[in-house]
Amino acid sequence: MDRSINQPQTTPFFKVLSAFLFTFFLVFFNFSTVTSVFDLEKSNFGPQLVYAEDDEEDEEDEEDEEDENEEDEGEESDAEEGSEEGEAEVDDKAYLLDIGPAKDHKMEDFVFPWIGNRKATWIGAQLHILFASFILGCPMFVVIMEVMGARRTKGVRQAIVFSNLFLGVLIGVVIGITIEVILKVHHGVLYGLWACAFGALVVSFLNYFHKLLDPKVSGAVGAVTGGVFAVLLTGFHGPGGAILAVVSGFVGGFMSNMIMFAESDFKFERLAHEITKVIGICYSFTALTGGLFLFIMLVAYSDFITYLVSNFPVLFMIAYPTLFILETILMYIYVYSWDPLNSTNKKGRHIVIGVFLNILGLTLLCALDGPATFMQTPPKPIADIPAMSEWAKIATATWMPLNYHRLVGNGTFGGYMVGIIGAYMYLWSNTKEDKEYYDWVGYIGNIIGVAIMIPLPAMGYIFVYEIYQYDASIGMYIMSDRESMFMLVQGLLVGTMFSASNLYMWISMKRIDNAQRFFPFMKIGFILMIIAATIWFTPRRFFATMMPEPGMNPDMVLPDNLAFLALMISKNTAAFALVTITFINYVFYTIATKTGKVHYGKINPLGIYVLIFLGFADIWLMSWMGTIRELSRMNFHVYRVFKDITPEKYAPMLADAGMNVTQIVWTFFIIMTAVIWIGIKYPKTGKKKKVAAAAAAPQMAE
Amino acid sequence: MSEQPEKTFIQNIMVKVPIWAVAALGIWFGAGKAGFPIWWQIEFVVFSFYALCFFILLDLPALKPEKGQGTATLRLFVTYGFASILFIGITKNLPQFNPEVELEKLNRPPVNLASLAGPEVIAAGREVFEENKCFNCHKVFWEGNSDRGPNLGTKQIGLYPEDYIKEQILEPRVKQSPGFDDPKSKKAMPTYYGEDLDDDQMAALVAYLKTLRDPEHVPVEGKFGAQWTWWDDQTIVSEGQKVFEGLEPNTEGLNCAVCHGKEGIPLMSGALDFRDANKMDTEKMADRLDGVPLKEWPDALWYKRVTRGVDGTPMAPWGMVFGHLYLWKAEAYAKTFHNPLPPEGRATKYPVPPIPTKEDVERWTKDGLFLDPLL
Repeated sequence: MDRSINQPQTTPFFKVLSAFLFTFFLVFFNFSTVTSVFDLEKSNFGPQLVYAEDDEEDEEDEEDEEDENEEDEGEESDAEEGSEEGEAEVDDKAYLLDIGPAKDHKMEDFVFPWIGNRKATWIGAQLHILFASFILGCPMFVVIMEVMGARRTKGVRQAIVFSNLFLGVLIGVVIGITIEVILKVHHGVLYGLWACAFGALVVSFLNYFHKLLDPKVSGAVGAVTGGVFAVLLTGFHGPGGAILAVVSGFVGGFMSNMIMFAESDFKFERLAHEITKVIGICYSFTALTGGLFLFIMLVAYSDFITYLVSNFPVLFMIAYPTLFILETILMYIYVYSWDPLNSTNKKGRHIVIGVFLNILGLTLLCALDGPATFMQTPPKPIADIPAMSEWAKIATATWMPLNYHRLVGNGTFGGYMVGIIGAYMYLWSNTKEDKEYYDWVGYIGNIIGVAIMIPLPAMGYIFVYEIYQYDASIGMYIMSDRESMFMLVQGLLVGTMFSASNLYMWISMKRIDNAQRFFPFMKIGFILMIIAATIWFTPRRFFATMMPEPGMNPDMVLPDNLAFLALMISKNTAAFALVTITFINYVFYTIATKTGKVHYGKINPLGIYVLIFLGFADIWLMSWMGTIRELSRMNFHVYRVFKDITPEKYAPMLADAGMNVTQIVWTFFIIMTAVIWIGIKYPKTGKKKKVAAAAAAPQMAE
Repeated sequence: MSEQPEKTFIQNIMVKVPIWAVAALGIWFGAGKAGFPIWWQIEFVVFSFYALCFFILLDLPALKPEKGQGTATLRLFVTYGFASILFIGITKNLPQFNPEVELEKLNRPPVNLASLAGPEVIAAGREVFEENKCFNCHKVFWEGNSDRGPNLGTKQIGLYPEDYIKEQILEPRVKQSPGFDDPKSKKAMPTYYGEDLDDDQMAALVAYLKTLRDPEHVPVEGKFGAQWTWWDDQTIVSEGQKVFEGLEPNTEGLNCAVCHGKEGIPLMSGALDFRDANKMDTEKMADRLDGVPLKEWPDALWYKRVTRGVDGTPMAPWGMVFGHLYLWKAEAYAKTFHNPLPPEGRATKYPVPPIPTKEDVERWTKDGLFLDPLL
């Protein structure tokens, strides 16, 4: 308790830090004022520079040709002589443009040993994305856990107002966009965003003053205030939007109340802190794999990477490095200020840093989704791309859908990774207390992973919907042509994951008193779940392309009268059934935990391995979907703009893709196993007493 | 904690396996009876086996706690190994494609009509059709496996003028195919083909589509499950009446009513009386169809007599002069003289003909039924 009093040295640390940040922002602000984006676009920067150089080269070529012609023709007029002099002057300055002997060097094409260039790029890109997802997904999880674990002091409550607002924005966007696309509510995303955010803000603010203690009343207030704000800001476009706004506002208000008045539990704090240690190490791997990816691209696809980067000069030269540096600084502050801020009773400030870390992370995610979606759906008309602004190239048709998809996907990723961390630590723990604690960590990771995974299919649907709107050929290539079997694998994986999640719940419930009364109902649900998974999997045809190719059996097609099983309506119904059954089982599980004692630490060890299997399956599926997205550009780097002319421009076979993805995921897991060991397990060895003392230290009230 | 005693493995599978065996048999035969091809029967049984494994797993006795890190590591590897083998196994055993085929397609030069002869243009058009994934929504006779859009073979898109076909590709939402005017179908056909296809590709594609005709059956309209033939199409019959009575501008010079009569009462001796449902085929043709009354004439006979004419009579081979699209319409109207088409439709519609097979199309080509020179 006295630690806060005995450690005044943290104040100078923050003063130094603040001075550093202030200086940094000052420099950055001045820089950005002088060279604003607008000015940069006008200046000789980026693509313009490239084209200017091209023009100069063209002019040089033309001049050379003219010189030759002049030599042939012999006599010239005075005026022409004048121009000749001018050209001679230019020739005199040709040395300024001469780069030296390097201009005559013709580089030989390099092929990556054993695996080839495409696979090398594939590995680099996917490893980078997996680590990036970790450092973006886990901080979301960590801040939620930190909030849940923090005692509700005044500062923490202030921070919760802010974090609830942030959470309200995220949840509102997810609800809104889902309803907008599926139920066609005009401006649905805006209604969802404004209503949920304002509902959360108003209720959190009132809750801060200990008003609106009842969650339902909070929800109602959120619904009214959020609804009114949303309609005022978005306008009235029919009852659909208004209903959506009210529902989103209710969710925002209800959720805020639940979070604000949740009973703090130190287990959450410990969980958040441990995960943060792993995040720190993963930052390094994100940078390392990012560098690896870039170097491979520079050698294997130098023309393309030059084209891509030069299309986004401001993004790649200013925004991305700035965001990454800021995020790294903030991440280190977040990691290393944990104990100092805890001990000085400034938990609220730490939570605020965590929220800012997430905001920066999401901004970075959205920024880099720009070039990714530019490659997939370049803005139309494609002939005008050279003249388009950088913003137009970022805000493509699939930019926001990919942002939504990755936001939710990373959240799921974070949940399952925490599940894996819990499972590993359970296996590596020797004490009863640790076993109990890590059993609980696995439970929390799985619950969060499954909960966030539920809207994930909707986000995927929104993404593919926009792809179809942009160019149905891409959608058909994914759903009905060369990637149709890839999608079938996706269906199997999703079915497997839902099965494994439910199996984990079942196993977990065996360690809860009186929980087995739900088992007969759950068994009925499992039968329905497997029927739903079967329907989700059932394809229209069992050959791997739209039309049978040589060597394929053209009879492998469902007859017309049974084709409905392969249509989207059947698939959507199956997906809905899977989600609903899982949700009902989760409700059973929650009731069981509330009405019976949970014997943490006594889970059937099978449950631990199911958790690991789930995490592996989730990350495998994530890599698989990334593969599908990349391959959907067919033989283009930038769809219909920049063709892949390398020998590896074809789509790889399903079996090859499966093997590659498995190898990538293994690599990721080997590294992650080491990271979890180094980050969490190793520091514990031989320090049991010290850790126990720290864990027991309560926080001071502010 | 667990309130029920755990079952041993044998107790666990003793009831489940027999139940599964019976269920799997039922699924196999039930699916077969419902018309599922064998691969789907296998799929359903495999999923039932998955269900068996899942339910066995639910009641499996609890694993013994790890004795040490060695056991934990071993189990960890087994978990990763199981997941990896499962996922690799899935991707290895699902149907594959040969990348060489795609590579060969990607390396093919673009369509250049100047260097192609007639059949090659049609073949190039077929490639354009495939490359643009038209099969995703349109069947062509037996080929393809989607009914999202009309079957361009049985609809006989080849009967239509080139301009109409081009318009349907470039501006598909101007005029919907009959039976596809629901909101979903209206938005289904992409509108970007004008940007994606160059002139040569478009010309080749239209050349291919013009070959999609059926000399043995009347055109079919509508979505699968709710289809009808032109014999039962009120609009077609009305348009056919114009052709029959010489009022259709596109068939100027053709007036069936001159001989067959506006009311179906023949004005010239020997002209077929369409009112008499029991009239037989002409005796003046060597390929006459004996013993089949007019009401039961196959579509092919209607088509043949109108497009090729009747030797030694004023019934000329009209197919050499006028678009067959209009001739089919006139035939649809002529049929109403002995089987009227009330505004609410016939009580018993003419059956939708079976989808022609690959062998049918090869036979039409071999027997010269396509009447290419006549179009």
